[in-house]
Amino acid sequence: MDRPIAYDKLAREDRFVRMRARDVAELKVEQGLPPFPDLASRESIRERVHGIMVGELQAMEGAGRTVYDFPDAPWEFTLDMARQVWDESRHVETYLGLLEHLGGRVGEFPESTILWRCACAEDAAARVAGVNRGLEGLACDVFNQLIHIAQKIGDPIIEKSVDYVLADEITHVRMGSRWLNELTRGDAERRRRAIEFQETIDERFNLGGTRQDGHHEVVPISIAKEARKLAGFTDEEIERLVKSTQRSQVY
Amino acid sequence: MSSERLSGHLSVDDSARRIRNYRYAEERVMRVLGGWIALTPELTAKLLFGRHVWDCAQHADAWGRRLPELRAPAQESEPANDAIVAFMRLLETPEGPRQTLERVAGVYAVLKPHLATVYARHLASANRVYEPPTRRILMRCLEEEQRHAAAGAIVLGRLAQDAGARERVVEWRRRLLAALEKAGGITGDAAAPLIDESVLGVAPEAVAPDLVQAPPAFDPAALPADLAAAVDAHRKAMESSDEADVARWIVPAARAAVQAAFAALAGRLTATRVVGLAGIGRQWMVKLRVESARATSLIQLRWTPTPEGWRIAAGDLVSTEPLSVAP
Repeated sequence: MDRPIAYDKLAREDRFVRMRARDVAELKVEQGLPPFPDLASRESIRERVHGIMVGELQAMEGAGRTVYDFPDAPWEFTLDMARQVWDESRHVETYLGLLEHLGGRVGEFPESTILWRCACAEDAAARVAGVNRGLEGLACDVFNQLIHIAQKIGDPIIEKSVDYVLADEITHVRMGSRWLNELTRGDAERRRRAIEFQETIDERFNLGGTRQDGHHEVVPISIAKEARKLAGFTDEEIERLVKSTQRSQVY
Repeated sequence: MSSERLSGHLSVDDSARRIRNYRYAEERVMRVLGGWIALTPELTAKLLFGRHVWDCAQHADAWGRRLPELRAPAQESEPANDAIVAFMRLLETPEGPRQTLERVAGVYAVLKPHLATVYARHLASANRVYEPPTRRILMRCLEEEQRHAAAGAIVLGRLAQDAGARERVVEWRRRLLAALEKAGGITGDAAAPLIDESVLGVAPEAVAPDLVQAPPAFDPAALPADLAAAVDAHRKAMESSDEADVARWIVPAARAAVQAAFAALAGRLTATRVVGLAGIGRQWMVKLRVESARATSLIQLRWTPTPEGWRIAAGDLVSTEPLSVAP
């Protein structure tokens, strides 16, 4: 097997329709629809859940590749990544179940592969910065919002299962924080590049400006400051993220 | 205490060497399963690998932590010989999207049953007075390898549904077993048989809950009735190579681009089938499997409602594969 593999080798059952996220968003805007699910209806929640399900699938695939791609990395790093593979496999199962719970089906909405592409970074430090801190940090924001909506509509199935996934994501961000530090110890340039990669991802994934600072009732996706602090983000990092959302463009 | 109770099978150094051999196998299979997840299309197999990467990691870790207790450096792996390295390389070779059968068969019908066999034999001979630390790890690894092999057998049964597929499994298993025999198993000295079926007696129903339930297969009935009628008419036009009729279903502004995208499909199509359907607002992406005498292709067509009814607004050729599934 190549280390790493080409992006386009990501294998899917035929039922999945793959498209660029930007193209999907543009097609929706052309139809007068919001570019991303606004969670205002059950169908919109189902679309979000489908998006998360494929994201979890790609997160599992990405962590699996990290186990394979870096045989010379510290053993404890490999152990953490192997653990993450297992966690993500449970998340996929959870979201498959939620999709069914919401009356949806696998492949009902297009899949974009942005997460997978981030998981293919050549440097292990960039992968943990980008995926574990950038994308799993985003997952903390999105899941926090989903839990809030589940509470609001009185759906304990979504509320409880997503809360367990959120707990795992916080653990994954912590792993990312630990390994970003350990893998780049004594190599300031490598650390700079990894953090830069994470910041690029933070900016790209602001969901068209819908992720913002503020309460759930006021903004579409609230930055989950408490969950992020639990996961090891510093106040300064959270502040930087808030600022990046203020200048984010629709991607 | 009788002195017989203190009789031993392996020296401390031999035990450490054997454990490094175990660690080598567990670590390698952990990495290979991890690497394969992205390369495997079928959700059931993908999630099977995803479930077991962590178990294999824990096995490797437990063996690696046992080593310093046996006067050896921690977390070191050692292949028994060059032939076992060659076996592992062979096991890893099926990485194509249509080689899931070989991937599952290699790990779950050869390596893991062999590991269970070796662990069971070691456990039966390990001294109960001074080797309990090793025995405990053996018991855990044995139980989990048995469960993995049983879970893999269920998935393999679901994937290998026709005689051709079952033949591929038999042939690949035969090749791998020959390579494993050449190595003398993962420890280099394993006695025949390398797989003892009597230690693999985990009932499928006992491990079925470990497996992720496969979501139902795509059902073309998911297409709204009016869209299904348009898609079927367009498919029939494609199958009959009626270019004017095919073009009729494409909005005029998109005709040239769609025809260019599908130029590589030139040639008589033998069959078309709807395999996927994804919604984008009021539009639908319809995915078709398109077969000719030489190749199978996947295409995606974006259907949009127009005053004239459903029409294709865009199309992409996703992939084309020659008609050969041999590994």
